[in-house]
Amino acid sequence: MNILSPKYLTIRMSQAPTGSPFARTEVLADGTALVTIGGSWTLDQPLPAIVTKGDRVRVVTEGLADFDSSLPAWLYANFKNVRQLDLSPLPPRLQSLVQIAEKASSEQAVPEQTGFLEKFGNWGVESSSSWGRAFEHIGDTASGFLRMLVGRAKVNWGDFTLQLQTAGVDALPIVALLGFLTGLIMAYVGLIQLRQVGATVYVANLVSLAMTREMGALMTGVIACGRTSTAFASQLGSMNVSQETDALRALGLHPVEYLALPRILAVTLMVPLLAVFATFVGIFGGMVVACAGDLSIEQYLTQAIRAISFKSFLVGFIKSIAFGFIAGWAGCYRGSVAKRSALGVGEAATSAAVLGITFIVIADAVFAVIFNLFDL
Amino acid sequence: MSAPADILTCADLAIGHGQVVVMDRLSFSLAAGKILAVVGPSGCGKSTLMRALGGLDEPLGGRSTLMGVDLHATHGEERAAILRRTGFLFQGAALFSSLTLRENIEMPMREFLAAPRKEIRQLAEYKLSLVGLADAMDKLPSEISGGMAKRAGIARAMALDPDLIFLDEPSAGLDPMSSGRLDELILRLREAFGTTVVLVSHEVPSILRTADFCVYLDPDTGTMGAYGSPKSFLQAGNSPKAHAFFTQARID
Ligand SMILES: Nc1ncnc2c1ncn2[C@@H]1O[C@H](COP(=O)(O)OP(=O)(O)OP(=O)(O)O)[C@@H](O)[C@H]1O
Ligand SMILES: [Mg+2]
Repeated sequence: MNILSPKYLTIRMSQAPTGSPFARTEVLADGTALVTIGGSWTLDQPLPAIVTKGDRVRVVTEGLADFDSSLPAWLYANFKNVRQLDLSPLPPRLQSLVQIAEKASSEQAVPEQTGFLEKFGNWGVESSSSWGRAFEHIGDTASGFLRMLVGRAKVNWGDFTLQLQTAGVDALPIVALLGFLTGLIMAYVGLIQLRQVGATVYVANLVSLAMTREMGALMTGVIACGRTSTAFASQLGSMNVSQETDALRALGLHPVEYLALPRILAVTLMVPLLAVFATFVGIFGGMVVACAGDLSIEQYLTQAIRAISFKSFLVGFIKSIAFGFIAGWAGCYRGSVAKRSALGVGEAATSAAVLGITFIVIADAVFAVIFNLFDL
Repeated sequence: MSAPADILTCADLAIGHGQVVVMDRLSFSLAAGKILAVVGPSGCGKSTLMRALGGLDEPLGGRSTLMGVDLHATHGEERAAILRRTGFLFQGAALFSSLTLRENIEMPMREFLAAPRKEIRQLAEYKLSLVGLADAMDKLPSEISGGMAKRAGIARAMALDPDLIFLDEPSAGLDPMSSGRLDELILRLREAFGTTVVLVSHEVPSILRTADFCVYLDPDTGTMGAYGSPKSFLQAGNSPKAHAFFTQARID
């Protein structure tokens, strides 16, 4: 059957259009504004604009053809604040559609334009309160951890093992690739310089020291922010949207303990292991470049082992624990304060990655100062 | 206008999810401008039937048509044109969470109407006022109550002046007053624009007030138990189960 067969057409199309809609106003002797409307009212054409004064209005029709909801909407919009509105000359079906619309109890507030200083002030207040919430979340995590140690916290251990898998084991390929390339690039750049002073053998020291102390932990931390923080933020954020967090709270479970703690623990555990793995893969990457012409494998390995002390290994390890915690915490925190909308979840994921990476770099700088003080 | 044609038909329709058939052998039709109530116990497949009739899910067997067209055999622009002329209220309201109520209602209008912004705004405000939400237009879906979300969903379903509107439990979560106003609105829309309505409801008084026809889905037999006017359900003898369903719910 043809969809355009007339019996399925709406009222607004079922009659031939009789000209565009019009509205005229005249003021009667008693001060009543008389509004005459007519023509065919559909949203496909511009609706007329009118100005009426006073609070007595009477609406009459003149050759009113067909209409869709644009006409009652137009009447509602123009006359909703008129005190004495007389619609009785209108067709009953039209009257009823205007009358059933409920009036707003107050005028809709138009959002005020805020000046620059106010905006700046608001930003200050907002960011200080969000810092407050951030620290509160860290505090909750810490106290949840302590309660867990004494066996009083309810933790979702199913999530913990799942995250060991997804945040840890599943990340091996990408950590391997990036670790390998980092070592390779460092060796390549290092060799260019060291050849000039005839000290190419030290490329092994350069790569192995940089990988253990710095790059292994840093690369893994950044990867964890990209992969895991964003995942945590969107998981917890969408649980917020669908009120699953509230359901947990109603059961007497603490969302930070139940959801955030196992995730943060899993990442804090897996990032150091991944970082050690990245370190070795990176040293291997450096070896591939160094041994392609300048050094023998034996030379490279001897130099590398001599360069790495237990101290530098410890430095890298401590850092990677901190980076893992930051990555896990950033994701859980941003997820738990996500706005309750699809957009809010997306924003939470983005800001989790940004927050995580920023904090990791800041922490790295702080560690550099501290280790320098303690001569590590 | 010519004699009212059947805007909605289904013949030997089987519905379900995946391979699981929830209801089959469904055959009925609805003339344009009529109001059909779908009733039955919770979980019997009312929402599933609405989705299948509205062309959102594939039927597992049989055939259904909307405005004379089998949606499941129609594609592209023709299909989109039919869907645009139907409105759908989901059981969970399904408002766009990132948009305010006003923007939720304006969204379909902006996509499909050529009207200028100001008129679309007026129209959206009017539709929200119809469901009594004039004071909550700038709130986000996360900031309103369940019943308000339902009403906003109804306003969005009405956004494009549909010829046929599916309402999945429109009055669930509404107080008797708002529910009565909603019945009134449905009747007035039908009177003014000839809108056809298919609704799911558990409230017998509201069904008696609004519906012309009623289909009872019987989970025990897996098919429709009865089809007829709501008043006929009140009389014993038509279908014992449908009769029981109707009379149990009555307060007398
Ligand atoms: N997405 C889905 N996937 C698989 N099965 C589903 C899905 N949604 C519903 N079902 C099943 O289909 C059947 C009918 O569900 P439906 O939502 O249509 O019930 P209903 O009659 O609308 O119930 P209520 O009155 O509670 O809303 C139920 O048995 C349900 O388990
Ligand atoms: Mg349902």
